[in-house]
Amino acid sequence: MLQKDRLIKTSRLVVRSGFIMNRLFLAAVVSGLLLSLLFSSPLTKLLVQQSPGDDARSQMTGLRLMLLLGIAMSVAIDRMFVALTQIIETARAGDPFIGANARRLQTIGWALLGLQILDIPAALIERFFPSMGMGTPDSAFSAAGWLAVLMVFVLSRVFAVGSSMREELEGTV
Amino acid sequence: MSLTELSQAVDITLANLSILKTGKARAVRFSTLEAICKTLHCQPGDILVFKEEDD
Repeated sequence: MLQKDRLIKTSRLVVRSGFIMNRLFLAAVVSGLLLSLLFSSPLTKLLVQQSPGDDARSQMTGLRLMLLLGIAMSVAIDRMFVALTQIIETARAGDPFIGANARRLQTIGWALLGLQILDIPAALIERFFPSMGMGTPDSAFSAAGWLAVLMVFVLSRVFAVGSSMREELEGTV
Repeated sequence: MSLTELSQAVDITLANLSILKTGKARAVRFSTLEAICKTLHCQPGDILVFKEEDD
């Protein structure tokens, strides 16, 4: 029991830290995108100075698309962390087998699916903006990621059935 | 036999026995029914009554 409490406490700490870091990342990416729009010409000049041979306009467009992608990913991760925090809180309270957690797992499943799908635009940026060089996002196909999406959706269904069975049993003497 | 004595004999809580008595229970386990019948020396039909509820 003590070990379980420690596990919940550790998970809570990890998820909380991840949540805060992701929010900071989101704020940084949104600021970056706004700055790239507000100071477009000085930034383009800076890019030309940094690598004179490359197409600065293309680099700037690639950079903005990457920032947009970062925002989308960060929002998906945020939804996931919020749902995960709520699930951990119910586990901490000693009653995690409820219908709400089935819905939260489904939210996590959708967020994970979104992250997997966002690999496609990431691969497109990598393909169409070669001038970005090492700056392009890593868009390798991840079988484990897709498997995780499937597992979370199945788990969500198991939770939904389990909580509905539990509700039926409540009031049994 | 008092409710407290019955709850002790049947080995269910007084709260649950009260739920059964007031008809608020949504379901009864066969083991509970068996224990009550054993203690009270009766048949399930002696303690269960079906009443049609008004819509």
